[in-house]
Amino acid sequence: MEYKAPLETYSGRVKEVVIGKRDKAVKIGGENILPLHYFEGNAANKPKVALEIDDSGAVGWPEWVREPYKDVVSDPVRWAKRCLDLGADLICLRLESTDPQGANTSAEEAAALVKKVVAEVETALIVYGCGDDKKDAEVLSRVAEVCRDENLLLGPAVKENYEPLGRAVADNGHCIIAQTPIDINLEKELNVKLLKQLPPERIVIDPLSSALGYGMEYSFTIMERTKQIGVIHGDFAMQMPIIADLGGECWKTSQAKASREQGILWEGITAMSLLLAGANLLVLRHPDNCRMIKEAIDGKL
Amino acid sequence: MGPARKDPEEVGAWLVRTVQDVTDLAISLDTMNPVAMEAGLKLCKKRPLLNSASGKADSKAGMMQLALKYNTQVIISVITDQGCPPDVDSRVESIMDTVAYANELGIKNEDIWVDPIILPVSADQKQVREALEFIKILADLLPGVKSVVGLSNVSNGTPAPLRGILNRTYMLMLEKNGLYSAIADVLDPELIELNKGGMPGIRGLVNKIMEGKSVNIGDLDELDRNYVNTARVLLGETLYSHAWLES
Repeated sequence: MEYKAPLETYSGRVKEVVIGKRDKAVKIGGENILPLHYFEGNAANKPKVALEIDDSGAVGWPEWVREPYKDVVSDPVRWAKRCLDLGADLICLRLESTDPQGANTSAEEAAALVKKVVAEVETALIVYGCGDDKKDAEVLSRVAEVCRDENLLLGPAVKENYEPLGRAVADNGHCIIAQTPIDINLEKELNVKLLKQLPPERIVIDPLSSALGYGMEYSFTIMERTKQIGVIHGDFAMQMPIIADLGGECWKTSQAKASREQGILWEGITAMSLLLAGANLLVLRHPDNCRMIKEAIDGKL
Repeated sequence: MGPARKDPEEVGAWLVRTVQDVTDLAISLDTMNPVAMEAGLKLCKKRPLLNSASGKADSKAGMMQLALKYNTQVIISVITDQGCPPDVDSRVESIMDTVAYANELGIKNEDIWVDPIILPVSADQKQVREALEFIKILADLLPGVKSVVGLSNVSNGTPAPLRGILNRTYMLMLEKNGLYSAIADVLDPELIELNKGGMPGIRGLVNKIMEGKSVNIGDLDELDRNYVNTARVLLGETLYSHAWLES
């Protein structure tokens, strides 16, 4: 008798989220398997890799991660195009300059920039605010309005601002990033709250990604549990795809700043680990890691 | 009384006097401070319940000896010098050791109330189920002992307006598994009603969930649905969040 390896099958399926529209659309999620277990079932979409750009000229980036972009960092459109040339599936634009502790750019200016990038760049766009919950609610709501129906992925929505932000995202045809501080119970709570405003196909979970040596194992555990609860146990409120926004976390460590080789490794190992944990979308900075992670996703590593 | 760091002797004595001024009921005296405990025990008119001793070395030497000296009933928790045991098996191991020690001192099982230690569902969901399982097997492990829980700890960390239903549902679940007594929020009228056997429909639903029977949530009104969802969270069938009643 021929031996047939037993296969686990699961009742839950991660929701498919579409970012961007028409030929620019990028799809994530949709799998009914544990991360990368392609032999167990069906994965509608492989994980995707975004390269990160910002509106502040890569201030504070170590020179070896700034180097591939150094001639374009003052122009987000050219920078985004460079990222696509370097192999990114999509672009993550961080509105660093809106930070009230920094340049404190207005919501109007930020929204105009996003609109310009959307118009000129041939891919889907993730837009992260500066991380100040009040300012983010204001800025990202305005971005949502100005870029109506462009189907951006906007965030982070957090406990303090999800209501106005969720409304703006729902009313203007975008997707939202639900961010909680590495806590599975708070993660579910925010998902449940956002599900009152948006369908699960418009929500992406950001459980916070920590860098190797700075708590990466906590992020790993939360991502792993999110998949188990959503896919194995079929918990509807935990079936959204996961974004691992890890590039910035890695490149601010002293280890990444110490040398080019170490910096690339630091981001690469963190990315590979969180990919294994279940990330559906990774935000990176160095093109070498973009290439390496995409090879891993395609099973060529 | 808590640790009663300041004037423990006076505080212990004052508290027992004050309470006995208004009731003839027996007193359960709760402090970590053996000096305050002894001062209170001395004055109790009815046989008190010493709350509590544990498997910790200083408790064996302190509280356990006081229970013997004043011939009290005594709560013995599963805690040891290593902390709270993480699962049913280690809780069993701890309580068997500590009760054996108490028996050797001369404290009979009939005078022992075992506390499995209830932990907050918002902090460690798995522990909630472990304590339930422990209560289920306790009577077989240690015939004659009673059980007691600090019920409201299950909802510690949960937003205040939502604590009651966790306490009430968990009480029903523990009761089904044989719980003898609970230190509970007597100002919650629904909890008291349930404790007196009221709301049989709710009790029936919670029992069904515990027995793994299917319940069609769509057929239920909001109150019933809330108890069903709470029982599922306390059993660990669904992941806890502060919004568990909303999903």
